[in-house]
Amino acid sequence: MSSLPTTFFGWVGFILDKYGTLFLSGVGVTLLVAITGTVIGFVIGLLVAILRTIPVAPRDPWYRRMPLRVLSALLNVYIEVFRGTPMIVQAMVIYYGSMQMGLRMPVLVAAVLIVSVNTGAYMAEIVRGGIISVDKGQKEAACAIGMTHWQSMVHVVLPQAVRNIMPSIGNEFVVNIKDSSVLNVISVNELFFMSKSAAGTYLRYFEVFFITACIYLALTFTVTRLLRLLERKMDGKTNYIIYGSQSDSKASIVVPKEGGVPND
Amino acid sequence: MTDAPILSVSHLKKSFGEHEVLRDISFDVSQGDVVSIIGASGSGKSTLLRCINFLEQPTAGTILFQGKNAETQWSRAQYHARVGMVFQSFNLFGNMSVLKNCVVGQMKVLGRARREAEEKALMYLEKVGMAPYRDARPAQLSGGQQQRVAIARALAMDPEVLLFDEPTSALDPEMVGEVLGVMRDLAASGLTMLVVTHEMAFARDVSRRVIFMDAGVIAEDGAPQDIFVHPRQARTREFLSRILQK
Ligand SMILES: Nc1ncnc2c1ncn2[C@@H]1O[C@H](COP(=O)(O)OP(=O)(O)OP(=O)(O)O)[C@@H](O)[C@H]1O
Ligand SMILES: [Mg+2]
Repeated sequence: MSSLPTTFFGWVGFILDKYGTLFLSGVGVTLLVAITGTVIGFVIGLLVAILRTIPVAPRDPWYRRMPLRVLSALLNVYIEVFRGTPMIVQAMVIYYGSMQMGLRMPVLVAAVLIVSVNTGAYMAEIVRGGIISVDKGQKEAACAIGMTHWQSMVHVVLPQAVRNIMPSIGNEFVVNIKDSSVLNVISVNELFFMSKSAAGTYLRYFEVFFITACIYLALTFTVTRLLRLLERKMDGKTNYIIYGSQSDSKASIVVPKEGGVPND
Repeated sequence: MTDAPILSVSHLKKSFGEHEVLRDISFDVSQGDVVSIIGASGSGKSTLLRCINFLEQPTAGTILFQGKNAETQWSRAQYHARVGMVFQSFNLFGNMSVLKNCVVGQMKVLGRARREAEEKALMYLEKVGMAPYRDARPAQLSGGQQQRVAIARALAMDPEVLLFDEPTSALDPEMVGEVLGVMRDLAASGLTMLVVTHEMAFARDVSRRVIFMDAGVIAEDGAPQDIFVHPRQARTREFLSRILQK
C-alpha cells in the first residue's frame, strides 16, 4: 500500500485521482438541476407575468373579474412564500412533506421541482420588472392592430422584456448552480454532496473543498461567458441592407446600434 | 358618398377619476371622409381617438362601426383590424425588422399566410417609400422613416378607417413633409381618416372636414373653409389666431 501524500497539492492530486469521477458525476447533477430548474423557473416566471398583466376593466362582468382577482391573489401568495423562505427549508418541507403524504418522489425530481418553483417566484418579479421597462406604446400598438393580450405579450412585449432582463436571468442561473448545494440536505447527489462524501474517507476537508470551490467557480464563470454571447446574439446584426439603393443593389451600410450596452 | 355613416360616435364620455375629459361627444363619419380634429392642448383629442379604438375604456356612450356596436357586436380583434391607428411616437415593434412589423399583425390577427402577408407588406412599404429598408430595425431609422413604416403597418391590415394621433409632432421639421405627403396620397385614395393634428395646412387643404374640440366637447364642426375662414365661435377664432400666428 502506497504511502499517503504529505503536502497540500499532494493531497489535491491524490483526491482528484481517486475521486475524479465522483466529482464529475456531482457536476453533472448540479448542472442538470441548475439548468432545468432555471429554464422551468423562467417559464413559470413568464406565465405568471402574462397572467398578472391580463387587463381588467371596471366594466367587465364579475365572472371575469372574480377569477382574475383570485388568481392574482394566489400568485402573490406563491411569490411571497417562496421568496420569503430559505430554499433549504423549502427542500425539507416539500420532500418530507410529500413523503408523509405517501408521495415518494425520486430525489432528483424533487430537486428539480424545488429549484424550479423557487426560481419561478424570483423570475416572476424579474419578468415583471422587464415588462415595466418596455415602453407602454408597444403594447398599445399591438392591441391597436388587434392582437390579443396573449399575442401581444408573446410576440411584442416579452421578447423585449426578456432581452432587458438577460443579466438578471444570468444571475439566477449562477445562483442556482451555487445554491443547489443546499439540496444535499435531502441527499441529492450534486457536487456539494459528493464532495462531502469524498472528504469523509480521509478527513481532508480543506483539500476537497478547495477543489470543489474551483469547480463551482469554473462552472459559474463559463455560464456567465456563454450568457454574454447569447445576449450579443439576441441583439442581432448591427448593419442592414438597403435594397436597390444607389449604384450597388446590395449596398450595405453599418449603423451603430442605438443604446448599445457597453460590455466587456 | 353613402348615407349610412361608417363610424358613429354618440354621447361619448370619458373621465379619469374626477376629471371629466370628454363630455358628451357625438359625431358621424362617412365612408371616405378625411376629418381633422384640432384644438388646444389638453382639450381631449388624443383621449377621443383612444376611446374610439378602446385603448381607453369610455365611461359612457356608444360607438357604432358599420352600423354595429363596436363593443358588443364586433370582436375586439376584428374591430381593431378594421379601425387602425398611427401613433405620435410611432410605436414600431422594437424587436422586429421593418418587414416583420408589417407582417406580424396580418398573420396573427387576420390569419394570412406568410407569403401573402409579405407581399402585401412590401406593397405598402413601397407605397410609403420604405421598401428598401425592409430589413432594418426601427431603432436604425429616422423618425420620419419610422412613421412611414408605422403607416404601412396599419395599412397592411386593410383598415376601413385609420386614426392618426398627431403623426408628425414628434418629427423634426424636415421630416414632416414626407409623412404628410403619404397622408395626402391616402386621403386622395379614398381611405376614411380621422387625424388629430397641429398641422393647420393639412387640416385646411387636405381634410374635407374639421372638428374643433375645446374642453372635452366638439365646439365646431364643418368644412375647412367654414372653420378657417368663417369660424362661428369666439373660442374657435381665438384658437386659430393663436396657432396661425406661429
Ligand atoms: N391616463 C390618464 N389619466 C389621467 N388623466 C389623463 C389621462 N390621459 C389624459 N388625461 C388628461 O385628459 C386631458 C386630455 O388629454 P388629451 O391627451 O386627450 O389631450 P390632447 O387634446 O390630445 O392634448 P395634446 O394636444 O397636448 O396632445 C388632459 O387634461 C390630461 O391630463
Ligand atoms: Mg394628444
